[in-house]
Amino acid sequence: MNKKQKALETIELKLGKFPRGDKNSITDLMGVKVGHLSINKDILDPSGEKAVIRTGLTAVLPYPMEKEIRLFTGSLNLGGKNEVTGYEVMDDFCYLNSPIVITNCFNVGKAYNAILSYGFALKRTEIWPPLVIGVDDSYLDDMRKSHLDERDILETFLNASGGEVDQGSIGVGLGLRAFGWKGGIGAASRVFSLDKEKFTCGVLVASNHSNQKAMKKPEANFRSDDGEEDSLIMIIGVDAPLVPYQIKHITKSLVVSLPSTNLFKNSSDSMTCILFSTANPMCLENDGPFVFDFQMVDDSFLETVIQAAAEACHEALLNSLIKAAPVQGRLARRVETIPDHEINRLLEKFENQDLSDK
Amino acid sequence: MKRRNFIKRTLLGFSILPSEALIENTPGRPYTKSLFTDSSQKRLREIGIKIGNLQPGPYNAITDVEGVKVGHTTIIKGGGEKAVRTGVTVIIPHGGNIYEENVFASFFNLNGWGEMTGISSIENTGRLETPVFLTGTYNVGIVYDAAVKYLARISPKMGDSDRMVAPVVAECFDDFLSDTRSRQISEKDVFRAIEKARGGAVAEGAVGGGTGMTSFGFKGGIGTSSRRVNDKYKVGVLVMANTASRNQLRIDGVPVGKEIKGFQEKSGKTKSIILIAATDAPLLPYQLKKIAKRVALGLAQTGAISQTGSGDIILAFSTANKISRKKRVSFHNIKAINDFEITPFYQATVEATQEAIINALTSAQTTVGRDGNTAYGIPLDQVEQIMKKYMRIGIRSHE
Repeated sequence: MNKKQKALETIELKLGKFPRGDKNSITDLMGVKVGHLSINKDILDPSGEKAVIRTGLTAVLPYPMEKEIRLFTGSLNLGGKNEVTGYEVMDDFCYLNSPIVITNCFNVGKAYNAILSYGFALKRTEIWPPLVIGVDDSYLDDMRKSHLDERDILETFLNASGGEVDQGSIGVGLGLRAFGWKGGIGAASRVFSLDKEKFTCGVLVASNHSNQKAMKKPEANFRSDDGEEDSLIMIIGVDAPLVPYQIKHITKSLVVSLPSTNLFKNSSDSMTCILFSTANPMCLENDGPFVFDFQMVDDSFLETVIQAAAEACHEALLNSLIKAAPVQGRLARRVETIPDHEINRLLEKFENQDLSDK
Repeated sequence: MKRRNFIKRTLLGFSILPSEALIENTPGRPYTKSLFTDSSQKRLREIGIKIGNLQPGPYNAITDVEGVKVGHTTIIKGGGEKAVRTGVTVIIPHGGNIYEENVFASFFNLNGWGEMTGISSIENTGRLETPVFLTGTYNVGIVYDAAVKYLARISPKMGDSDRMVAPVVAECFDDFLSDTRSRQISEKDVFRAIEKARGGAVAEGAVGGGTGMTSFGFKGGIGTSSRRVNDKYKVGVLVMANTASRNQLRIDGVPVGKEIKGFQEKSGKTKSIILIAATDAPLLPYQLKKIAKRVALGLAQTGAISQTGSGDIILAFSTANKISRKKRVSFHNIKAINDFEITPFYQATVEATQEAIINALTSAQTTVGRDGNTAYGIPLDQVEQIMKKYMRIGIRSHE
């Protein structure tokens, strides 16, 4: 624990100029809640075979879900190895009005259906389209046999909290690994000011990437024949007033400017980045007004937003590694927490944008 | 016999034009009247054909969107191998200084075999900062250069303390009628189009950038139309049509292209269409992208299929939210139509696009160009007969 704290302090020194939010998490945004569902058990499937389940689900509720609200949203998908439902609406209509759920890719349908059930139970006229992101946790998890229960998912939504976010091997993070080490859920936040007004940018990542090429190291748990698809998921919330073209611009700039994503350039990893602004909620009770009034930050401030988001994403990614407890998974595979010297090595790599293994 | 008379008549009409003709807009004319009252060519509504259900604005033109101005410079020089039939059309998005006060915009690349400069800025900043210029393919560099000079003149700080700007210049290939390689367009021509830009009625057909364009196997060029939405808003479309082949042509669903006899042009090549949609409804860039896509649906209703060789590029802008460069505010207050209420604007866009493309045809006079290549103005007497045969004139009433 001391070691970890030390590592965090080191990171703090290196991670930029913006102060953190109170909880250093996406929940620093007013109204945003996070819930985890972790399934960590060995079961016998109906055919009598043993199955090792190391999976789960992580839900980000971007606003109190009983409200009939849309938020401006944008996304960037690179690589395309993870399923993103609701993508078409996000791309074309640029909004979300559902929880954002990250789960393993075979449970996307379950989660999708659970979101609908949740919305109907809340008497929402529209919670469609559900936004579910599927990641591949088949290295540790018997994904083919791990089926989530809808009741558990609904409970996760109900129990989601706006407090500190549990990180590491929790929720969907239970079965994930990154850079050959245990990965999972990470969170961070930054406070920045635009024209003396204070705003917050909060991030939640699910790290499940760069296992194949980026960090070849004998002691890391590296295999090239496991058929796993690598991906990094970043959910970003901002309470500054942004409109869709600005959000798209930020996601693009962010993804290419992140030091950690530079590791992507030699790999087959994919990435999904979803950014929403809580500042321009479209209230759709009685279908809403004919014309909405919005605010929009001047484009000259976008740079600040991008920098703050980049710092938060970077730290969230590192948190996802540092805070992840080791997990023993299927086929007797064990993935360890990243050791301190490896964190430093990783940071160096980020800094130098150097991908070689020398 | 009839055909010969037609050619004689239209050629005569053509020959009285000066060697370098400048055709201007005359504000204040009612929309039903063609600006070429002495010619046989008319706007679609003048021969009694109404597209769709919505009412057009007072001029049935893109200029019905308040503040939008259109100007043409038409360049007609010489004949034979060196014949020049080209020009430039400019759309000025609002009454003020467009560089100082930007409007939201978006574009849709239906078939990318063409050029519209300034797009990367529009895609990333969501706004239009320059007038929109329409011209022949090889003129783009010259027009771009002139546009930069014009913008530098009206905005002394541009490129100095204020951001640079990439003007929007779009092209179609007018090679069939014009010696395009000679690039006989000058800065002055561009400035003159800007100076002559007016609201009100818009000259159509073989004018401005449309001078050398052919469309559906007939003479094409500039066409425009507009629609009212909810009595409050307007959607206007202006096209530079140089696309599609004759047998594809449909007017209000009627396969006119297949039915027309005679007037076969030598070349049936397809060479692009540029479509510009404007509205005074408050729409954000992502909504304008949807409008731009509906423009493509309007194009489809004319029978065009966006062939490989046709650069079909669409731009849509809204004049309702103006983002000022001078007034440096940290937080802009803007408006946007509720997505649930946007459908009538799609209807307006599709109808206006279809009518604009057909107006470009019906307004264009027969033009003889390079190497004697002839693009015939679509024979309106035949169009009228065909539309009657399919019971589109005089029988079906429109709301």
